[in-house]
Amino acid sequence: MTAAPGNDIEFRSVTKRYGSVTAVSDINLAVPKGAFVALLGPSGCGKTTCLRMIGGFEQPSEGTVQIDGREMNGVPPYRRPVNMVFQHYALFPHFDVEQNVAYGLKQARPKLPASEISARARQALEMVRLGGFEKRRIHEMSGGQQQRVALARAIVNKPSVLLLDEPLAALDKKLRTAMQIELQTLQRELGITFVLVTHDQEEALSMSDMVCVMNAGRIVQMAKPQDVYDKPADLFVADFVGKTNRIAATVEPGGATLRLSNGTALAAGGKTGLKPGAATVALRPEAIELVRQSNGSDSQLIGIVTHRIFLGSTAEYQINVDGLGDFLVTADRRSVQESDLVEPGERVVLTFDPGKVHVFPA
Amino acid sequence: MTKWYRENAPISAENLTDEWMRLKRGSVTRRHFLGVTGLGLAAAVLARQPGLFNSTAYAEDLGTTMSLATWPNYHDPASFEAFTAATGVAVEVNVFGSNEEMLAKLQAGGTGWDLFVPTNYTISTYVKLGLIDPLDMSKLPAFSQATESARFTSEGAIDGTTYALPKNWGTTGMAVNTSKIKTKIASWKDFFEVAMTEADGRAMVHDYQLTTIGSALVSLGYSFNSVKPEELAKAEELLIKVKPHLYGINSDYQPGMRATDAWMTMCWTNDGAQLNRDMPEIAYILGTDGGEIWTDFYAIPKSAANKPAGYALLDYLMTPANAVKEHIANGAPTTDSRVLALLPADVTANKIVYPDEASLTKLEFGAAVTLTDPARAELMARFKSA
Amino acid sequence: MRPDRKRQLITAALVAPAGLWLFVFLVLPFMAMVVFSFGERAPEGGYQAAFTFAQFANLPSRAAAFWNTLMIAPVGAFLCLIVAYPVAYYLAIKSNPKYRLVLVSLVVVPFWTSLLVRTYAWMYILGSRGIPNLLGMIGIEDVRLLNTPGAVLLGIVYGYLPLMIMPIYVSLEKLDRRLLEASADLGAKPVSTFFGITLPLSLPGVMTGVALVTILLLGEYLIPQLLGGGKVFFIGNALVDLFLQSRNWPFGSAIAVTLVVVVVIVLSVAMRIAWKVSGSRQVDLV
Repeated sequence: MTAAPGNDIEFRSVTKRYGSVTAVSDINLAVPKGAFVALLGPSGCGKTTCLRMIGGFEQPSEGTVQIDGREMNGVPPYRRPVNMVFQHYALFPHFDVEQNVAYGLKQARPKLPASEISARARQALEMVRLGGFEKRRIHEMSGGQQQRVALARAIVNKPSVLLLDEPLAALDKKLRTAMQIELQTLQRELGITFVLVTHDQEEALSMSDMVCVMNAGRIVQMAKPQDVYDKPADLFVADFVGKTNRIAATVEPGGATLRLSNGTALAAGGKTGLKPGAATVALRPEAIELVRQSNGSDSQLIGIVTHRIFLGSTAEYQINVDGLGDFLVTADRRSVQESDLVEPGERVVLTFDPGKVHVFPA
Repeated sequence: MTKWYRENAPISAENLTDEWMRLKRGSVTRRHFLGVTGLGLAAAVLARQPGLFNSTAYAEDLGTTMSLATWPNYHDPASFEAFTAATGVAVEVNVFGSNEEMLAKLQAGGTGWDLFVPTNYTISTYVKLGLIDPLDMSKLPAFSQATESARFTSEGAIDGTTYALPKNWGTTGMAVNTSKIKTKIASWKDFFEVAMTEADGRAMVHDYQLTTIGSALVSLGYSFNSVKPEELAKAEELLIKVKPHLYGINSDYQPGMRATDAWMTMCWTNDGAQLNRDMPEIAYILGTDGGEIWTDFYAIPKSAANKPAGYALLDYLMTPANAVKEHIANGAPTTDSRVLALLPADVTANKIVYPDEASLTKLEFGAAVTLTDPARAELMARFKSA
Repeated sequence: MRPDRKRQLITAALVAPAGLWLFVFLVLPFMAMVVFSFGERAPEGGYQAAFTFAQFANLPSRAAAFWNTLMIAPVGAFLCLIVAYPVAYYLAIKSNPKYRLVLVSLVVVPFWTSLLVRTYAWMYILGSRGIPNLLGMIGIEDVRLLNTPGAVLLGIVYGYLPLMIMPIYVSLEKLDRRLLEASADLGAKPVSTFFGITLPLSLPGVMTGVALVTILLLGEYLIPQLLGGGKVFFIGNALVDLFLQSRNWPFGSAIAVTLVVVVVIVLSVAMRIAWKVSGSRQVDLV
């Protein structure tokens, strides 16, 4: 059996069990060549297990994992054309930076000439902007620098797939943002497939061109980042990716009207095929606009501002809506006049485009 | 209490478990093996409970406990039980591996021993170092000088003063497994020759300079006690020549002989009797060219904490009716004709324990200087490290 | 009281019992040894005050014992290492974590019985009624295993194995498994991973074990006595003889002091090597 050309990695009905615990359940996944895929999900969702099955550290209980069209079941890690950036980097403490990076090259048989090993190791270090750090000991490097050493070590063998296991988790926010851009750049330069495992939705959305959201051992949604955000497949995705206001509601018979639990009726907008009955309505904080006066629109709720949090370019409001509890609303300060910014204690009207409302069966 | 005694009785069965238990009890062969292993400091406290009624024979206050330093497997534990029943004094027994160790301990002080068992050649040293007192014979009515054989008791007295009373005597001979060694062995000369030929890799000598060097000297026609440099040099030459052929240099030779790993060894009377009793093919032979004869004594340390009890136990053990039980239990020959008369015929007929007078004539008592001579100590070290 | 002063006092109070113990039972006796080593043997044995270098000058008379000890200690430690490493590796890396505690306990269990008794057991296993007896049944007669140098080495490896296994086990157990995965990921076959990563990173444990076993072997006297038949003469045996037999305390003290000096040198060199090779600052002594 061969994978469709163009797929670097393919999971076919892969299940992984540890004793009686099923970590990954019947997963089918195809990663196209040259893609930057993020496996996103809460801890315990099976994303790391998937990554480790690609790396060869775990073997599927059922199904097959293919890399580059070759079935990989039973193939040990050292015979796989993939390399991994480990969580916490797993750098060799008894080697200096260059020795760490050169380690993979030294394993090549027939042996590579020492001059080539050294040149390629230095080249990899240049790529991660660590030229000049060759002779440093690992414990003398900062967290960000160690991260780059780990990257250099993983790319030096020119793998066809690079696996990244929570690579940025240990870095502070500023460094993380910088590394996100660097990783994207690096992926473009190398032109190889990156598979990233993360629990941080922001990281997944910002770097990857394909996000695979996992929950409880299954893939819930696999889509482009903006689609995952804008068109969440279910309530879990809507909740896990980005922030969401959830409102209990009922779809009225006919499916054209939503009745919120406080009695407010909403037009279902362009949505069709809504099944009558209990439902949950999800609404992104930035989809809501705050105005002081009702504009007569249907899609509006009234509430009192309880908190305002400035986040620099944006501001977040917490608003207590009658009968529906607290709502989160994000206002972009660039598009809002200073005088339009509402204050805590003010009574405001929440308006939104009914088309931006997501309705999920309860 | 009685269980302890039983376990400490001389070994009768041959099997591994017994020998194992023997080790665990620390009742290994006499002398310095215990010193070597450090087990010698093991002590057993006997019969703590006072007797129901005390004998009127002991007018003095004897206290409730006393301490005895002796050799392993050297007493009938029932004797102490009976003593305790009679006097109310519990006997704590400390077993030692070598005379040197006993001396070191006593010299260091604080032993609390009220009675101990030195060998003949150490008594003058104890006296010289002021570690033992002359015995007050009035407190030892059971002892009878008249019935003692002077040969064995003379070293207990120095310049006419009695410092120690004889416990038993013995010899240092050869134990030979006759089913393995066909050559007839009669002398120390034979011993060393066979050790290099028929018994190659199967002969043992003591890890004790007094007997090992002494026997080598005897085999060369010299005195057991020689400290003459040229004679010692000859003995050293012989020992170093023999060494590669030896099975071991070890004073704990019973296990090796019993397992027939070793076929021939230097051997003390008690061990010879025990080995022969359990394995009749093992013969005990006294050298026709000489060898050692020895006597173990009882003495009371100057530092004794409970001298009255020390005297009481000594007198108790000198009483023929009590002494005879001791001799039956430990197998060593008595020096007292009153005891000899009470011993069963099968004991006195044992030629290992009571050899013919003729075979004793060439044997020599070890001398104090033989034990303490630094040249002999160094010779032994060279032999062992060769 | 200032806080740092208070902290110092607490530290001192916590260290004091151990310090006092070491002082009374290690430093003082050692000082006594040093004093003795410049003294003379009293005519009846023991120590007699003097100031002489005669004891040290006499050291060459025990050269054979020093030589035997300094040869057998590293050889024994190395053999121990060869046997211990795979066991420690299995325990730390390969064994099922569920049973690991039980398995590790099994390594320690023999320590519940005295080494003397266990060595005696070997005397029976190697003696005529043990293995040679079994060999006799298949027609190989009169094999002698006991009281041979091989028996001494066997006894040493057996007796000291747990002391070698434990430090290696601890260092392997501390080893980050991801380093092994990273090595495999980078294309290293298991053998390369072992020699490139596992072994160097467990070196502190290895050196600790080797140092521990070597040092204890330098003072060993029981095993050569029991399994070597007293024909193999170690420093330990020389000391026993000098203190308990010929009662030449000053000479024994001189030998003991020399031995301590040798141990300290061996130890510091070994630790320095371990420190260098592993590149780690954490070279634990035990």
